[in-house]
Amino acid sequence: MPDLRIEATINGRKIARNAKPHLRLLDFLRDDLGHTGTKEGCGAGECGTCSVFVDGVLLKSCLVPAAKAQGTRIETVEGLAKAGELSVLQQAFHKAGASQCGYCIPGMVMAATAALRANPFADREEIKERLGGNICRCTGYQKIFDAVELARDVQNGRRPASALAEEDAADGAFIGVNVRRLDAPSKVSGALKYAGDMVMPHMLHMAVLRSPHAHARIVSIDTSEAEAMDGVEGVITAADVPGVDGFGVFVHDQPIMARGKVRYVGEQVAAVASEDPLIARRALSKIKVVYEPLPAVFDAHEAMKAGAAVLHDYAPDNIVKHIPIRVGDVAKGFAESDLIVEETYSTQQVEHAYLEPEAGLAYVDADGVVTILSPSQNITHHRHMLSRIIAQPINKVRFIMSPVGGGFGGKEDMVYQGMLALMAMKTRRPVRVVFTREESIITTAKRHPSHTTYKMGLTRDGRIKAVEIKMISDGGAYGMSTEGVMRKAAILAAGPYAIPNVKVDTYGIYTNNTPSGAFRSFGALQTQFATETHLDICAEKLGLDPFEIRRVNAMRDGASTHTKQALKSVSLTRALDAAEKAARWEPGVPNMRGATRGDLNGEGTRPSCTLGARLAAAASPKTSEVA
Amino acid sequence: MLICDEYLTLASLDEAFDAMARHRGRCRIIAGATDTLPWAREGRAGDVEVPVLIDVARIPELNARRVDGTRVRLGAAVPIQRFLDDPALAKALPVMPQCAIWFADDQIRESATIGGNVINASPAADGTPPLIAHGARVELAAKRNGRIVRREMAVEDFLQGPGKTALESDELLVGLDCEALPGYGASFEKVGHRRSLVISVVCLAALVKLDATKQKIEDARLAIGGIGPVPQRLTEVESFLRAGPLTAERLEQAAEMPVALVASRSRQEYRREVVRGFVLRALMTAVRNAGGASLLAPELEAAYA
Amino acid sequence: MAKKRGRGVAACWYGIARTATVDRAGAWAEIDDGGTAKIVTGVTEIGEGILTVLAQIAAQELGVRPQDVTIGDNDTARSPEAAHAGATRQTYMIGNAVALASRQARAALVDVLAKHWSVDNQSIKTAAGEAWAEGTNHKMPMSDAVHLAKARGVVPVGSASFGTDTTGLDPVDGSGRPWQAYVFGCQVAEVEVDTLTGEVQVLGIWAVHDVGRAVNPRGVEGQIEGGIVQALGQGLMEDYRTVNGHATTPNLAKYILPTSLDVPHVTSVILEDPDPLGPLGVKGIGEPAMIPTIPAVMNAIYDAVGVRITSLPATPEKVLEGIIARTAKRNINRVAAE
Repeated sequence: MPDLRIEATINGRKIARNAKPHLRLLDFLRDDLGHTGTKEGCGAGECGTCSVFVDGVLLKSCLVPAAKAQGTRIETVEGLAKAGELSVLQQAFHKAGASQCGYCIPGMVMAATAALRANPFADREEIKERLGGNICRCTGYQKIFDAVELARDVQNGRRPASALAEEDAADGAFIGVNVRRLDAPSKVSGALKYAGDMVMPHMLHMAVLRSPHAHARIVSIDTSEAEAMDGVEGVITAADVPGVDGFGVFVHDQPIMARGKVRYVGEQVAAVASEDPLIARRALSKIKVVYEPLPAVFDAHEAMKAGAAVLHDYAPDNIVKHIPIRVGDVAKGFAESDLIVEETYSTQQVEHAYLEPEAGLAYVDADGVVTILSPSQNITHHRHMLSRIIAQPINKVRFIMSPVGGGFGGKEDMVYQGMLALMAMKTRRPVRVVFTREESIITTAKRHPSHTTYKMGLTRDGRIKAVEIKMISDGGAYGMSTEGVMRKAAILAAGPYAIPNVKVDTYGIYTNNTPSGAFRSFGALQTQFATETHLDICAEKLGLDPFEIRRVNAMRDGASTHTKQALKSVSLTRALDAAEKAARWEPGVPNMRGATRGDLNGEGTRPSCTLGARLAAAASPKTSEVA
Repeated sequence: MLICDEYLTLASLDEAFDAMARHRGRCRIIAGATDTLPWAREGRAGDVEVPVLIDVARIPELNARRVDGTRVRLGAAVPIQRFLDDPALAKALPVMPQCAIWFADDQIRESATIGGNVINASPAADGTPPLIAHGARVELAAKRNGRIVRREMAVEDFLQGPGKTALESDELLVGLDCEALPGYGASFEKVGHRRSLVISVVCLAALVKLDATKQKIEDARLAIGGIGPVPQRLTEVESFLRAGPLTAERLEQAAEMPVALVASRSRQEYRREVVRGFVLRALMTAVRNAGGASLLAPELEAAYA
Repeated sequence: MAKKRGRGVAACWYGIARTATVDRAGAWAEIDDGGTAKIVTGVTEIGEGILTVLAQIAAQELGVRPQDVTIGDNDTARSPEAAHAGATRQTYMIGNAVALASRQARAALVDVLAKHWSVDNQSIKTAAGEAWAEGTNHKMPMSDAVHLAKARGVVPVGSASFGTDTTGLDPVDGSGRPWQAYVFGCQVAEVEVDTLTGEVQVLGIWAVHDVGRAVNPRGVEGQIEGGIVQALGQGLMEDYRTVNGHATTPNLAKYILPTSLDVPHVTSVILEDPDPLGPLGVKGIGEPAMIPTIPAVMNAIYDAVGVRITSLPATPEKVLEGIIARTAKRNINRVAAE
């Protein structure tokens, strides 16, 4: 079939290439031309990591068929820094601290460049609208807006170029100084290579076959047809594991690939490697897996009932972990209370959505060391686990942490590194895998959803006498970090308050849902959401200001925690005072402060977003900055 | 993943029809590609193998746009972003810029075409209610017996259900013919779960013309999306508005009228509430944009601003 | 007004580094030719800025500049164990390990310089690429100091480990010392609720967090701002759904994240209550930054419209349903009163 012929100008240089007709401009730039500064985050136009200029117009290159590049002038992030000197905007990103993991940053820099090209005087609201197609998961966007405003002002002469320079540190005292991030230039220029950007000579591409069932016995797997396909260099299943299979942050209950049964939709069952990623994908459909569906359970409360489907033989009650915390006697505390408030709280499963989907590269080096390069948050533990799984001594297993395009806990699990190692060992060639966004979402751990029953007893003056908290949490099909999440959730559940009687129980439960695992704030977010909301309810019922009820109960220096640990210094009341002052808090009972309050809509708030900043600016250019 | 063996970029309608005939049953038409590429992914259509992709976005006729006193002719491949940066279009089609600012994002708007938004027939499409409010008609063409034949129909007749249109298999949507409504006050209301790059739960386009006294609505156009399988023009509301003065009571009555039309498969209660509020807010804004601000009841203005 | 505003507050606490288990991290340091430095430790950057933080710590401890420091290299076969990148432990565990290793490397160089200038070790100062003996005219660039050390047969290296004094939890009553450092914080949120659609916009967050000691204040702000927006995503829109185990939100069109138009202005206030147990006084910020945001926003929604959200996320539907239910209840009460 005819290849495309693409003649175009890329970053000022003419190119003429043949390309496969199905390629997207993103693939053409990255894979055929090596412009890996343009990233793939979602492949569906939803994130903006792949933004490039085509004939001066910014487009998401994952939505542009490569054929449309014919005859165009393309500018990628690599083209912005002329002669190695960062553009003003790139320097402003560096100065403002606008990059964190950096994976969204090339696209973000491109979008910001487009914004200032479209309107060199764009105000902050217009800048926000023009960046509206580019997702950042790390920064919260504020430093990005700051950077674009800084660049705008430097370009317009409103601020001097020196505003982009490093701040001085007095006398070599660098701790406490806003030193510019050392890794920012590599990120704003697109030079930094993440695992999915790396290639090795003779490298294979791996694709993964996944379970369509939530719970099923694997009757048989026949890989012969896939193995016989032209271009297929290797197929692996659980049968290829030479050692003791099983990984997990706390309990090693998850096999590298499903072994005997699958426990959730998307679980990895087999993998194929080929020099051509398309052949690897096509070969997946040639693997014949016979499943015998098993009863499944999708709700943590159901899973705790007798007779529920059991996921793991070692845990017949489906309980991954129960953590109890006990202080004093809650019955006595409730008896001493003037007010008892009960409520239930629930939180949902949440995806980390780091912009860099999982990717990794593995090879066996000349000394026989199995080497895995991936954005892993826990290379130390991964090498321990992998050495058992592949039955090699620790020093024959090497993990290298590639730049992490966002983790948030989601890259602590060794979900694909084991498959990569096995494939590299089997084929004796370097192997790379890059997850699609959908694979990343469907198959990797989530924040634990939770269901919490909460009971608090207080005296009239707002003093908490007792709390009883029970949280049931769906851990999904594998243990991952559930045990640790339940522990942290329990320890911190009742909040930083001195409470004489505390009873906390957290339960992590197996179900056939997508596994839950580590996620920034690790269980403490779920329980403290309940506690801090509950305190607001109690404050209203007692006619107290929300700061006041917290101050009455706040742990202070020397406090004993709910695990009976003696604390030395406790900064909580200082934090409360500082927040009250910073926000110019107007004291009062929630929802009762009425029309005369003067605290709203002041400094520290942004305008309400109504969209159309550029339309308003066009309609009344003189007043746009006031609005 | 969208996998093809051949990708054809065509320069004329004639060539496009020939290619469609040659590859009948084994081709797919694309223009902006912003819907087709995400469609061919896991969780939606999965990997799709199409032998031939036929790209019509560079055909000159599909990119033409022409504004005269009463009509606007838009080629089907005109990108959404043109409604924001072409002052002639913005003047003749006052609600389109307000819709465009809500439509996906700046980058997608540069690729996504107005014809594509119509032909996808999504119940939640942002672009179709404003077109309907502008009385838009689709222009369809086919090559039959060696000649190009054309037909026209109203957008609301063309759209038959989610993903369903009146397009014949040998036809292309080549253009849209809209009523130019300069001087109308416009408003576009939309709610989703965030404020950029978001699918509408409900969206409403409103256009209002006041009479010379600015006391009365001379003409009103309202169309709504997201509340049923296809977007709808709210003709009863329009006639009701034309029939009487601009009082708070009548505006509230008007807002109640389309509530019963909500027939979506989910979130019905929510959509009913939003429809009522949107009609009010859209009318208030459109009336204000038509120069009628001072006539509005202050308490109503405050309640729905 | 159809758009109503309100404010809410929430506090938080958090433990630094691994929970209810002994945590540890190792690091190697070398003052290298040309007055540069090498720091080798097992785990570093996941985007939080730890590379820069470690370079600042090493620079200050060694007496060089951050840009002189090379940090490598996250490799289990080439660098000492630093455990994992998570648990708000990087600045605390690895920062303290790097400080200790740097002090050892510097001590080796100081020995050489003190002998060379015949002064007490205590009088030797090093900062920003210079070494000198206090109270004397002796001074040289660090590049010369390293050259001198090597000429005396000394490579100025150091290595150190930092560990915590912590215990597991009692299996019955949970008692124990899960962490040796705790942080506290408080956030105020201001929201606007559109009572026609139920949409919530978070317009402002004032965030106060104790971080022990801020090595890079801008980096701390970045963690606070980013944590708040992640929390806001969970609070208002993000919702991973499955039906019989099949994801119905498998992409970023269905699983939606906050965009640039959905985020508040954040005012960060950094509080410093130094940790007495580590050499630097530092603690951490990554995770605690996002804990108070959701309840502060939910409490603000209540303040604005009297709707109590106890089930996340607070979607427009859920908020509007609450507003309608509340209005209906008020009307019933009014009828009853009449």
